[in-house]
This record gives sequence, C-alpha cells and structure tokens, in this order.
Amino acid sequence: MNYIFGSMKIVFIFLSLLFIQCSCASDHSEKHKEPAEEKNEHEEEIVKLTQEEINEFGIEISTAGPGKLEQHVDLTGEIVIDPDRLAHIFPRFPGIVKEVRKKIGTPVKKGEVLAIIESNESLSPYEVKSLIKGEVIDMHLTRGEVIADGDHTFIIADLSKVWVNLSVYQKDLPDIQLGQKVYISAGPNTKEIEGKISYISPVVDEKTRTATARVVLNNSDGYWRPGLFVSGKVIIGDETVSVFVPKTALENFENRTVVFVKHKEGFEPQPVTIGRSNTKAVEIVAGLKPGQNYVSKGGFTLKAELQKEAFGEGHEH
Amino acid sequence: MNNIIQFLLKNRLLMLALGVLVLAGGYYSYQKLPIDAFPDVSPSLVQVFTVTEGLAPEEIEKYVTFPVEATMNGLPNLDHIRSVSNFGLSVVNIYFKDGTDIYFSRQMVNERLQEAREQIPEGFGDPQMGPISTGMGLILFYYLEDTTGQYSLTELRTIQDWLIKYQLQTVPGVTEVLGIGGWEKQYHLVLDPNALLRYDITVNELIEKVKANNLNVGAQFIEKNAEEYIVRSVGLASGIEDLENIVLKSEDGIPIYLKQVADIKIGGAVRRGVQTRNGIQEVVSGQVVKLYGTNSSTVIGQVEEKMKEINNTLPEGIRIVPYYQQKTLVQAAVNTVTNALLQGIVLVGLVLILFMGSLRPSLVVAIAIPFSILFALIGMRYFGISVNLMSFGGLAIAIGMMVDGTIVLVENVDRMLRESKDDETRIHIITRAFREVSRPIIFAISIIIVVFLPLFTLQGVEGKTFRPLAYTVALAMLGSLLFAIFLAPVLSSIFMRKPKIKDKTKTPKENFLIGKLLKVYQPVVTYFVRKRMPAVVITVVLMIIGIIIFPQLGSEFTPTLQEGTIVLRLTMAPSISLNESIKTTQIVERRLMKVPEVMEVITRIGRGEVGAHTDPINSAEMYVLLKDKSEWRSARTQAELEDVIREEVGNIPGVLANFTQPIQMTVDELLEGVRAELAIKLFGDDLETLKKKADEIAAVISRVPGAADVQPDQVSGTPQLLIKVDRHAIARYGINVEDVQQVIRAAVGGETAGQIFEGVRRFNILVRFAPEFRNTPESIREILVEAPNGIHVPLTQLATIEEIIGPRQITRENSQRFITIQCNVVGRDIGSFVKDGQKAIEQNVTLPPGYLATWGGQFRLQQEANKRLAVVVPITLLIIFLLLFSSFNSLKNTLLILLNIPLALVGGVVALWLSGQNLSVPASVGFIALFGIALENGMVLVTYLNQLVRDGVSLDEASIKGAILRLRPVLITALTTALGLIPLLLASGVGSEVQRPLATVVIGGLFTSTILTLLVIPAIYKWFAVKVEYSEM
Repeated sequence: MNYIFGSMKIVFIFLSLLFIQCSCASDHSEKHKEPAEEKNEHEEEIVKLTQEEINEFGIEISTAGPGKLEQHVDLTGEIVIDPDRLAHIFPRFPGIVKEVRKKIGTPVKKGEVLAIIESNESLSPYEVKSLIKGEVIDMHLTRGEVIADGDHTFIIADLSKVWVNLSVYQKDLPDIQLGQKVYISAGPNTKEIEGKISYISPVVDEKTRTATARVVLNNSDGYWRPGLFVSGKVIIGDETVSVFVPKTALENFENRTVVFVKHKEGFEPQPVTIGRSNTKAVEIVAGLKPGQNYVSKGGFTLKAELQKEAFGEGHEH
Repeated sequence: MNNIIQFLLKNRLLMLALGVLVLAGGYYSYQKLPIDAFPDVSPSLVQVFTVTEGLAPEEIEKYVTFPVEATMNGLPNLDHIRSVSNFGLSVVNIYFKDGTDIYFSRQMVNERLQEAREQIPEGFGDPQMGPISTGMGLILFYYLEDTTGQYSLTELRTIQDWLIKYQLQTVPGVTEVLGIGGWEKQYHLVLDPNALLRYDITVNELIEKVKANNLNVGAQFIEKNAEEYIVRSVGLASGIEDLENIVLKSEDGIPIYLKQVADIKIGGAVRRGVQTRNGIQEVVSGQVVKLYGTNSSTVIGQVEEKMKEINNTLPEGIRIVPYYQQKTLVQAAVNTVTNALLQGIVLVGLVLILFMGSLRPSLVVAIAIPFSILFALIGMRYFGISVNLMSFGGLAIAIGMMVDGTIVLVENVDRMLRESKDDETRIHIITRAFREVSRPIIFAISIIIVVFLPLFTLQGVEGKTFRPLAYTVALAMLGSLLFAIFLAPVLSSIFMRKPKIKDKTKTPKENFLIGKLLKVYQPVVTYFVRKRMPAVVITVVLMIIGIIIFPQLGSEFTPTLQEGTIVLRLTMAPSISLNESIKTTQIVERRLMKVPEVMEVITRIGRGEVGAHTDPINSAEMYVLLKDKSEWRSARTQAELEDVIREEVGNIPGVLANFTQPIQMTVDELLEGVRAELAIKLFGDDLETLKKKADEIAAVISRVPGAADVQPDQVSGTPQLLIKVDRHAIARYGINVEDVQQVIRAAVGGETAGQIFEGVRRFNILVRFAPEFRNTPESIREILVEAPNGIHVPLTQLATIEEIIGPRQITRENSQRFITIQCNVVGRDIGSFVKDGQKAIEQNVTLPPGYLATWGGQFRLQQEANKRLAVVVPITLLIIFLLLFSSFNSLKNTLLILLNIPLALVGGVVALWLSGQNLSVPASVGFIALFGIALENGMVLVTYLNQLVRDGVSLDEASIKGAILRLRPVLITALTTALGLIPLLLASGVGSEVQRPLATVVIGGLFTSTILTLLVIPAIYKWFAVKVEYSEM
C-alpha cells in the first residue's frame, strides 16, 4: 500500500513540477551576458571600425589645426540716396512754365538748364539750373503750368554712390563697429557687393528700437536703386583660431559636447570646450590639440555605436 | 443502456440519417470557418491614436494623452490602460478583459472619445481609434514598382493614397489600407521672411489671405422663364498658378502677389516613415489590414484579384508588387496540419486493417474519424474558433484517440460474433457486446475530455494559443463518444457479419499478426503474472529513470512559431534623424543583398499612416525576400540562412539588429509586456526624479546576489531646441506669448492654410519659411516677430533658446508615469530574490512621496499561472478519480489505473530527453493527452479483468487470459494514437515546431504506458482485485 501512495505522490510531484518548470521557463540563454563585459570604462568608450565601414558610413577624418573663423550678423536695410548727392530744385519765382528741357531719367550736368519759367512778377523768363551733376529722378512740371511758391519742380540725384541704411537690432549693437566689412545683396542668388560700415547712429529709434548702420556703396552701374530692400551680412569677427573644427564634428554625448578622436585602437569621444563659433564652424578652446586626427563628419554613427547597449533595451529579445 | 441500444438498433435508419446530418453540418461549418495561420493571441485591446504634428512628448502627454486616458477610466470590463506619448503621436492602449467583444469595447471607447475630444485643445489633433483588427490583421504588404522611372515619389504616393487605397478598401474584409513611403503631396508656400518684411506682411495675414481666396460657394437658384438655374460661384484655387496670383495687399493700386513673397511649389509633407528597397531606392508602399474575424485566405484572395484589376488601370509602367502576404503562411500552416491529419488517417486505417484482419470492422471504426472531425468543426463554428495550426493540430492529435471507443466496441462485437452460437442473432450479439463495453467507453472518453480541463484555464498568450487545441480535442472526443455510443452499434449491425467458416477452430480468422504477437506475449505475461516481482522492479526502475532524467530537461515557453518570413529589425540611436536612418538602413540593405539567396529587401522605417505601427524613426523593419529554395547555395534551412545573413550583416556600427517575424513583431508590440523575468515599475510624476530614482534602484538591485541584466528604461535621449518665451521681454514690446508661438509654429513647423482640390483629391497648403531661414538654431534666433506697433523684433530678444536632451517618450500606465527597471535572475529562486530586492530598495533608496515601486514581469504571470494550476490540476485529478471510482466502485481498481499516469510520464520524459527537446507548454499539453490515453488503456484492461473474475475465473488465470484477450484492443488503440501522431512528429512545415514536442511526449509515453498496461497491470492485478466479488464466487 505504501508503494501505491508513493506512486501517487510521484504523480503529484511530477504534475506540479511539470507546470512550475515550464511556466518558470524563460530565455535565460539569450539574455545573460558574460560578466566579462564589465571592462574598465576607458576601454568601453572606444569604437573600432574597419576602413570599409568608415567609407560605408561616410565618416570623414580631418586633422585638427588652425583656421579662419568668420563670424557675421545678418541685417536688413534699404538703399537710400546720399543726401550730399541729392538736389531739390525750387524755381525762385512763381510763374508759368515756358519750356521743359529735361525728362525723368535724363542725366544732367551741374549748371545745366532744366526748364525755363516766366516769372509772374517780372514777366520775364528765367532759367532753372541744376545744382549738381546727376540724373533727373523726379519732376513736377509741365509746359504751361503755373508754378506756385514753394513747389519743387525737379529732384536731381547723383546715384554713382548710394547709402545702405541697415537696421541694427538691440541684440546686435554690441557687435557692430565702424569699419566692419559688409556684404550687401538684394536677395538670394543676386549680385553681392562688399562695403564698409562708415557710420552707426548714436541713437536708437524710439519706435523701431533699431539703430542705423550706414554703408556707402559705389553705384556707377545703377544696380543699387534707392528704395531697394537689401540684406547685409556684417562680418564681425574674422580671426584665425588655433583649433578650428566644423560644427558637424561636434556630438552631444552623455550631456557633454565631444569630438571623436582617432587613435591607433579606434575612435574615442573627447569632451571639448567651445570658444567662438559661427554657423558652420567652431573654435575649440580645450580638449582637442592641433595635429590630432578627429572625425569631422559622421560622428553620429560612432556615438550611436557607443549608446547601442542602452538604446537596444526593450527591443532585443 | 439496454433501452438505448435497443432503441438504436430498432431505429437504424433514423440514426443513420442523424449521422449524415452531422456530417453535412460539419462540412457546411468548414466552409464557413475563418482560416488563420495561428490562433490570434492579440489582447482585447482598443487603440486610440492622436497625431499632433510637431508636438514634443511632454506636450502630447499633457494636452492629448491625459484627457484620453482620463475619460477611459471606469469603462466596463476594463483591464488596464497604457499610453505612450511620442514626438507627434499619442497612443493610448485600452486593454479589456480577455474575451470582451471587440465591437462592444470599441463602442464604449468611442462614446468616451467624444468627451476626450472636447478636452483636447483646438488644433492639437483628433483622437481616432485604430482599425478593427488584431495583431494578425496585417495580411498583405505591397510596394509600387515604377519601371519607367519617370514618376516622382510624390506622384507615386498620390497614386497610392488616392487610387489604390480607396479601391482596395472596397474589398470585403479589408478594414484599412495604410500608406507609407514617398512623399504625401502638399502645396508648399515657401516664404522669404525678408520679403515679408519688405512688403510689411505678417505670416498670419498671409495665411488669412490664402484662406480667403480659396473657396466655392453656392447661392441657391434663380428662376429664368420657367426654369431654375442653380447659382454657384467658383473661387477655389486649382493649382500653383492660382495660388501665385493671390493678392496679399495693394499699395497705391499696385497689387502685391503671393508669388512676390513666397516660392510656390509642390512638395512633400513632413514624414515620420520611409520605405526603402534593396539599398538603392525609396519606394511607396501600402499595408492591407484585415477586418477582425474575417477569413484571411479569402480576403487575401480577393485583394489579389482587386490588385490585378487596379494594375490594369494604373499608368503605364506602374505595378503593385506584393512583398509580404499572410496567405503563404496560412496555407503552409494549414497544409502542415492537414497533411498530418490525412497521413494520420491513412496510418490509422492501416493499423486497423492489420490488426482487425478484415475490412468490415475496420470500415466501421474508420468512419469514426470523419464523424468526429466534422462534429468538432460544428463545435468550432459554435464556439467561434478559427481553423488554424493549433485547432487543426488538436484534431491531428486526436485522430488516434477518436477511434479508440469504437475500436473497443467493434473489437468486442467482432470477437463475440466469432465466438457466438449459431442461433444468436446479430442484433442480439451486438447488444451483448455493447452492454459489456459501453460503460468503460463512456468513462474512458470522458476522462480524456476531463484531462484537457487544465488547458482551458491557461491565460494570456499560452491560453490563447492552446485553448483552441483543447477545444478541438474535447469536441472531437465528444464526437467520437457520440459515434461509439449511437452510431457504431448501428453501423456494426449493418456492416459486420459472422465469420462464415467458424466451426473449424474457435478463432479461424484470428489475425496472423496478432497470432504472432500472442506467441511472444503469452509466455511473457504468464511469467510476469506468476512472479510479480519483476513487474514491480520494472515499474520502479522506470520511475527512477524518469526521476533522474526529469530535472535534466531544459525548459522554455512555447517554441516560437516559424512564420517563414525573415524580418531583420534594426534599432538605431533614439536621436537619429530620418535621413541618417535611411542612410544606415540602406547600408544594411546593400549588405543583405550580397547574400546570394536574398532576392529583395524591403524596409519600413518608422511609421506611415497611423493605425498599424507606431514605431519611431530609429526603428526599421527589413523584410528579406528569398529566392526559391532550389537556388539556395550557402544554406539549406531558414535557420542556417539566418546565420549566413547574420554573418554577412555583421556588426553594424550604431545599429542593433535582430531577427523577428511579421506577426510575432506586431503581436509583441500589442502585448507591450516586459520580456524580462522581473520588472520593477517605478511610478511617479517628475521625469527627472523618476530617472534618477530608477538609476538608483538599478544600482541597488544589481548588487543583490543573482541579479543579471539589470537595466532601467532609457527614457531620455531626444535632443530638443527649447524656446522659452521671456515674459518681461515680450511685455516691453506688448507682444503676447501666442504671437511668438504662432510665428515659431508657422515659420519652423509650417502652418496649413487650406487645401487644394484636384477633383476629389485634396492636398494641404503648407506655409513655411524657406529652409535657410529656419533649419539651424542660429536662423531660428533671427526669426522676426511683429509687435502690435508694427516693429519687428528678433526671436532671440524675446525668448531664450537652448539645446537640451528631452524624453524620447513618456509611458504611462493607469494614468501614471512610470519607468521600468528590467532584470533577470540567475542561479536562485525568484521569490527569495524579490524579497531581498525589496528589502534592499527599502534600505537604500528613499522614494519621494507619491512615488511607488511595484514588482512585476513574467514571474508575476508565472506565479499566477502556478496558483491557478495548483488548484486546477488536483481538481482534475479528483474528477478523474471520481470518474474511475464510480466506474469501478473500487478504490483499489482506481489506484491501479492511476498507476498508469507516472509510467506514462516516464516515457514522455525520456522521449523528450532523447530527442533533445525542452519541456515546454506544448510538451505539457502532450503529457495531459498522455494521461487520458494511459488511463483509457488501463480502464479497458481492468474492466475486462474484473469481468473475468466476476465470471468466476481465478485471479491469476483471469490476469493472464484477460491480458491475452485484451492485447488486440490495447495494442490497436495505442498504435492508432501513436501512429496518428507520427506525421506531426516528422513534419517540418510551418508550425511543426509547436506540435513536435507534443507528439514526442505522447508517443514516448504511450510506449511505456502500453508496456505497463500489458505486463505490469496483469502482474499486480491480484493486489488490486476487488475482494467482494472475488468472495462471491
């Protein structure tokens, strides 16, 4: 009888084992990594890639060295006529226009007769002459018209030189200085001309809260028409820095800015301190020495490889 | 019983008619049953998606996810709610209790969604429910092939979205067609901010103008003579030219046109998903989603038909190319089991003929198979079980058992007919034979049904996988019982005859094979009965072997179902850009193409139209299409090929690659469960604190002995450009926060300003700054904001702009944020590990108020399952015991029969060990089936022995005689069952890996249990014989 109960017991043990065993099962074999993986931290942060992989992933390597770091500020503004080269012509006496000699757009010389007006007072005609050499850009008289007191008849402007008034926002004021180089253009993909800041307004406009920076442009071909809306790229810094890298070389790794440096063993992230920068490049103040080989493009692949262990969680089974 | 059998034999025609009715009903049901590859293990789940273009996880959570979650709380049958707030997408998964009707739950969710919509701020998206489908619903993927090379990706996507999609959606059973890849066409108004400044126009004014110059109206009708003329005014912009000439303002009669400030062109919408092919190109692709509960193979068939039709209407050179379809899988899976089923039937038939020695009784027995199967099919339709690998697998397993009841009856009839006197009528003999065995048959089959009871209590994925099997086995056995009781006697009376030459010897027709076997068996069994001790020794030895081997078996969950499609899943860094993601993916694709067996690689990166996938862009799924198997050179099997591919792909810098399968992948995503044994979920409010505390917990846990792979979720890692509006600064200029943000949104993200209609196709008009004015932090700083007094202020004067690392996604469960810390346990019991871990956390980590750590993971499920089984298994055994006891009315007999169980187990264990398989859920199912069969065999023999004893034969003699006479039925039932399973054991097709352990266990167990039945039971019967009846003689 004992034997029978023994066998019954075994049935139970078997049954319970069976279910416990299979329900406790899991993919031990796949999940467990070797403890040997816990190497020292330094070694962990080196990525090894074959030359093929470097090519495949478009990783570019450059040598750290000096470079010219050009910093600029983009401003907008408009072309205005140089007040020194503008003349408003007023007839001296009211009268009737007898003759109009010039049309809008006609170039005139200094002292050249523009129109002849018969004075109401003296009833004798007198000549209206240009005060400057330039071009008629506007006129308000036709033959037979009565010119009253104070009506201006001609605007003569010399457009061989024009001004660019650039609006300088508050935030940019500290950067803008006299003599800075400016590239002026009237829109993307149009002609660009170089100029210099010759004047900065000492006051800021109360309404627009902008100051004005002036650039004088040579306009012998008449391309820079007054009224034209232009943008100006002011070069505010143009220094040669000792270590200069493109922005594509910078990666954010573990909340630090790093540059991947190439050793014999592989690539290693190296925290760097950034100095001045422009839209494309930065100056490295510390962390990268001249002559070191670094990844100038494609560092993301290296960073991803280092983070692989972490981001894979939840997907690898 | 007497009345029944007499009634049956009197109304033979009626019984036959009823039988035919069942057959017809079964066939009809088969026609109507949905066919799937596998049982659908998806949870009862309704997904709510909200697309909110351009919003970061934090905002999505606040404005969208929370209202949706909050309104869903308290739904009937709700199990739990889990949500993920990603960049631009909120997904709320509302899990219902298993078995909740999908339409009911959707209706409930929809009602509450109305409420949620009201709480979501204007312009933050509209929550939508996912397709009425499950993880098995993605039945077909295709891409568009353009042989001419003239069509742009935008044009192809337009063809997909407006031509193919709508036509495919008309196919019955298709609930959704989701497009991905290429570019969704948009009209882009690319603004030049300097031009806006020049003409003094703000972005908002521009958007208003565009909207105001793009509409049609109706103005009722006028009467003209006796007729009505409908008045309509057409002012919709029809294309680029109309847009270009929209007048923004007019200065001194000089109009300023839109084209003066913006470049207007056709472009692509912002995309979060791409489809690439072979490492050389991007393609446009679509995914067909099947409606819940429809027949996969029918739907796929109809979709293919429709595709042919559509192909004819597509522009020259464009073709729909399906690259993944479940049909092949469904076919393969169904083929595997149907083949096994058919081969099983043939084998069983052969056994019958061999052992019964004549065709007529074999025929009666064989009819039991189709009857039982078709009966099961009726039941399947009733219970809503689809035809799939598991449900048909159940039938295949049951084949050998279906015939058992009938075999016992027919064998008895056959023997009695042979032994009968001349004057006894056939009907009478059958009645007598029926009476003798009907009780054991009913009890034996009932026991087989009962042993499958524990399977019905399995939960979760295992439950969903194996319940169909339990159902079909139980149904088929019920069918076979009905057949054995109601039809077999009738059919026997029709088909079976008394042997013609019966006066020569007593058993002239005694089968040759049985005769041979008997010659061997008789002396052996006699020896065992006389000596007894050897039988005990054999039993004990077998048991010891079993006990030694059992702990050596490895264990695993359900073996993975091979779907026959290789998917390589890439996971890249969470911060990756889409372009980098495409570049990396294409590198991997090119490496894959170097494998000679690979024909094509199609990859989905991220997500397309929402509904099926919610992957971020750092995730790519590569469908590897293989050449025909005959062209394979470097590998023979899929597993080998995976190794070859792994080798070729190698380690990809910055990429994690692992193999998965389409359905598995989708289902995993829906289950969203934690795969590690142990998961500590830390609930709390503040993301930073959560992360910090999770790291602390991880550090503490990893010091607990036995901890392995401790890993907290990586919740952060997405770089953000955070623009914080400086309230003092905007106050100085009189600007509102909203003004600043509107400019940021329109300038950087883009703002929709109406739509362009091309027929019924509609395309958004997107207003956005030209790239050079918005795509770097520097240029964003320069964006000008207009103050009420008309002056322009650069953004950087109004706001601080910083680059930070933000959360990549925010996960919540039951309305609380949480982080998971996963962990496995090696070399010790999980229960004690959890206790130690809890103590360690208590001592070393101080959680702020409102923070809570819970322990979960697979181990929790296992504990629950064990608890359940700890109740169910003893109950099952108790029922079996009661059945046996009420059948024999003797405790001893019952125990003798129960002795079969451990010996059968030994065989199963040894078979698993020999074949190098693990103890898995299917193997357990095999053991369960084995119990039933072993008990059945034992019952048949013991019943007969009892009868002999009752007839007055001495115990020893009865043991020997009974054993000899029952050799044939015991062998036949054992062999039919075993041979019925042989095809499953040898099958190599799709799904065979699930059935194989089961078949192994049953076949192995049958071997030992048959030995027991034939040798040990007669030998030790004496000790268990029923005393009362013995004394009666």
